[in-house]
Amino acid sequence: MIVPFGHVLALGVLLFLTGACGAMVRRELIMVLIGVEVMLNAAVLVFVAAALHWGQVDGQIFALFIIAVAAAEVAVGLALVLAARNRTGAASRDQFSSLRG
Amino acid sequence: METKVIFYILAAAIFGASVLAVSCRQAVHAALYFIVSLLGLAGLFFLLGAPLLAALEVILYAGAIMMLLLFVIMMLHTDRRDRELYRPPFWTVPVLLSLLCGAALVMLLARWPQAAELLPSAFFSPGQFGQVLFSRYWLAVELVSLLLFVALVGALYFGGREIKAARLQPGEGGDS
Amino acid sequence: MPTLLSFLLLLPLAGAVLQLCCHRLLPRRLLEVCACLAIGLSCLMAILAFVLSRGRTSSFALYQWIRVADFQASISILYDPAAAVMALMVTFVALLIHVYSVAFMAADKDYGRYFCYLNLFVFNMLVIVLAGDLLFLFLGWEGVGFCSYALIGFWYKENANCLAGGKAFILTRIGDVALLIALAIFLASGAGFSLSEVNHAAPALPPGRITLIGFLLLIAAAGKSAQLPLSVWLPDAMAGPTPVSALIHAATMVTAGVYLLIRLFPVLSLSPAAMTAVAAAGALTALYGAASALAQTDIKRVLAYSTISQVGYMVLGVGGGAIDAALFHLLCHACYKALLFLGAGCLIMACNDEHDIRRLGPGLRRRYPLLFWPFLLAIASLAGIPLTAGFFSKGSILAAAFGSQAAFPLLWWLLGSFTAYLTALYSFRLLYLVFFTSDHGKAGKRRPLPLTMTAVLWPLAVLALLGGLINLPLGTDSGWLTGFLQIAEEGRNHRVPELALGLLDALLALGGLGTAHLLFGRGRVREAIPGRALADFCRQGFGLDRLYQLLFAGPYRAVAAFLWQGVDVSLVDALLLLPGRFLSAAGGRCRLWATGRLTTSLHGFLLGVSLMLILVTLKIYGLW
Repeated sequence: MIVPFGHVLALGVLLFLTGACGAMVRRELIMVLIGVEVMLNAAVLVFVAAALHWGQVDGQIFALFIIAVAAAEVAVGLALVLAARNRTGAASRDQFSSLRG
Repeated sequence: METKVIFYILAAAIFGASVLAVSCRQAVHAALYFIVSLLGLAGLFFLLGAPLLAALEVILYAGAIMMLLLFVIMMLHTDRRDRELYRPPFWTVPVLLSLLCGAALVMLLARWPQAAELLPSAFFSPGQFGQVLFSRYWLAVELVSLLLFVALVGALYFGGREIKAARLQPGEGGDS
Repeated sequence: MPTLLSFLLLLPLAGAVLQLCCHRLLPRRLLEVCACLAIGLSCLMAILAFVLSRGRTSSFALYQWIRVADFQASISILYDPAAAVMALMVTFVALLIHVYSVAFMAADKDYGRYFCYLNLFVFNMLVIVLAGDLLFLFLGWEGVGFCSYALIGFWYKENANCLAGGKAFILTRIGDVALLIALAIFLASGAGFSLSEVNHAAPALPPGRITLIGFLLLIAAAGKSAQLPLSVWLPDAMAGPTPVSALIHAATMVTAGVYLLIRLFPVLSLSPAAMTAVAAAGALTALYGAASALAQTDIKRVLAYSTISQVGYMVLGVGGGAIDAALFHLLCHACYKALLFLGAGCLIMACNDEHDIRRLGPGLRRRYPLLFWPFLLAIASLAGIPLTAGFFSKGSILAAAFGSQAAFPLLWWLLGSFTAYLTALYSFRLLYLVFFTSDHGKAGKRRPLPLTMTAVLWPLAVLALLGGLINLPLGTDSGWLTGFLQIAEEGRNHRVPELALGLLDALLALGGLGTAHLLFGRGRVREAIPGRALADFCRQGFGLDRLYQLLFAGPYRAVAAFLWQGVDVSLVDALLLLPGRFLSAAGGRCRLWATGRLTTSLHGFLLGVSLMLILVTLKIYGLW
């Protein structure tokens, strides 16, 4: 493995921004969720690279935690998408604004 | 030398799959592209000395989470195309901002001396991983398990309501 | 003695407080009894104090309420003969009016407020009467103003009544300011506020300042006593209940100004210019009031203008240097004017709230003999028919004016005498129009009068007839009142041909009676003043209201409108609203960020992140 650390981080940056663009551009809630997953994966990648760079396993452990949190998030998120869909018939995220201040 | 080549190929594949996953019109296609991206990431993890994470990525992410997502997508079967997606005013601002961010970050990386250092070819075995996880991070593990449990309860709560609503109104239920 | 006088002063206040606090708790009858009892006991105290003092002056301080360096003001009482007589008159007349009010207000539900103000009114007047300290006197002076405002506007549901109350308050306020300035001058001159000290220290003051004080006191008295420049509030004050009018005119309000002049006469008499001004104001007001009264058709307005005229006589008496005559006339006037007002209240009540003397209707004389005879006596006294109280008191004032030290005494005397003729004319015009109309017209519905309302007229009638006895000049001796007041005799001009003047007065009064009989006898109804324009002019009180409207109210309103529309709305408000509008517009823009739309929030999030990153990058690269 002789790739520079910066290249892995750059890949993480690219992935994160792609996910962010997706989460912002798409309107369907499912697609927003996918965008968020992409962002999370970018974070996981950066953690793993950092673990390797400093030779400490903690980074990988945090990557594991992030995967667990992503699982929880997807579970609840999908349940919410279903509930919202069944209640209003809408799937576009801008139609859910009853929690605004 | 081969690892270097493999890294760049994987990186290109991951990035391309991610872009497609994010921009694809059909939700099922998007999910499948994302799975491709996840598989590539798993390979990358393996390269970066994290075989356990690579396995977990495939099993948990690609196997469990994305399957759940796919099932939900098929349940909702959103055949409605996102027509406004490619209209310029809608995506210009996020993309421009993202480019700005990216440029800034890359410039920061270029100035960071450590970013130029080459990564070592180290390897963390699952045993090492588990020892640190359950000795130093046992509390975090418990917390994460609690979080997953709460997520389970929440999902059941919403899902249970859906079932009840579907029973009350047979015409428009969860299968619509 | 201090205990007695304190009770005399504080009993009406206690009555007012009781009415204020308990008028929901106690039964109506008990409250009415309490209100009358407070004044009655006060009257008893006044009689006791009068008997026990035997003309001695006693002064004492009840409480010292301000003491700063060498300035001090105290709640003190100066009980001299003039105060004794005044206190007696005020409490006695007020007692009769209270008893009368019980019957008069029987149909009114707001008796608690009424009797509270009534008691408070009497208390404040007693403060003026008894105060030995000018600041304490000023408190009573303001209190009287407030009570008159509250009682004139008593039936506050009609806007005209409230306006009348406000008019009285504002016009008397002009006088109050003058009095306040006079007090300030006293203080600045080092004379202090104690009445006796002020009167003692006055000769040492520079003459210019004395003259200034004299004029200020005249304005103050003019405000309270409705003298010429400030007289217009009194006719409108008829908006209040009739007993209140009686109280204002006879006992409490309008006499306060004259009494103030009497109290501060030692100061006033030092300035010949001020004395002349006082005499002029009195004489002119007397003429003005009488001429206006001649043209009025509302019975209460006739009496109001008559009061202005009669108080003008009192002021003329003070200006002529005869405070005994002024006080004498004040007492007699209180009796017959209270009687006239209470009688007018009876008439109005009997004729179902009819105020127009031409329409009160026939048959009143036969139907209400108990009302007619006292009314007749009071009219005779007002007109100055010989041997009534009014004849003697008016005669002494005219004699004083004839022999006064003021400039142009003959002019004032002539004006006064002519006014005496007019007075007789308008009083008998009133009597003829009310009681001697032909019996053929249709009689409206008549209501029976309660006995209490007619009974209180009789003591007043007796006093109106016989009140002249208290200052009857017998030969060369002066009367009892003059002696009681201990007026120094040496300054008095003895060359006044009193007998001739008295005969002339009698002739004038009888002439007025004859003229009235010729004009209005046998049920004739016509204008007393020849010429329609002149009659209208007199009916509107010489157009003073319109003049003030034009001179003061109009410009004031214009300025106020300009300040409101031109300055406040379009300048101040606009300036204040400008930032408000800006903020509101900015808020409208900012609101777009808080629509609750997820897209907006995410855009904001990304924008923030990129800004931070760019800043950090710039910092690292040393560009910022």
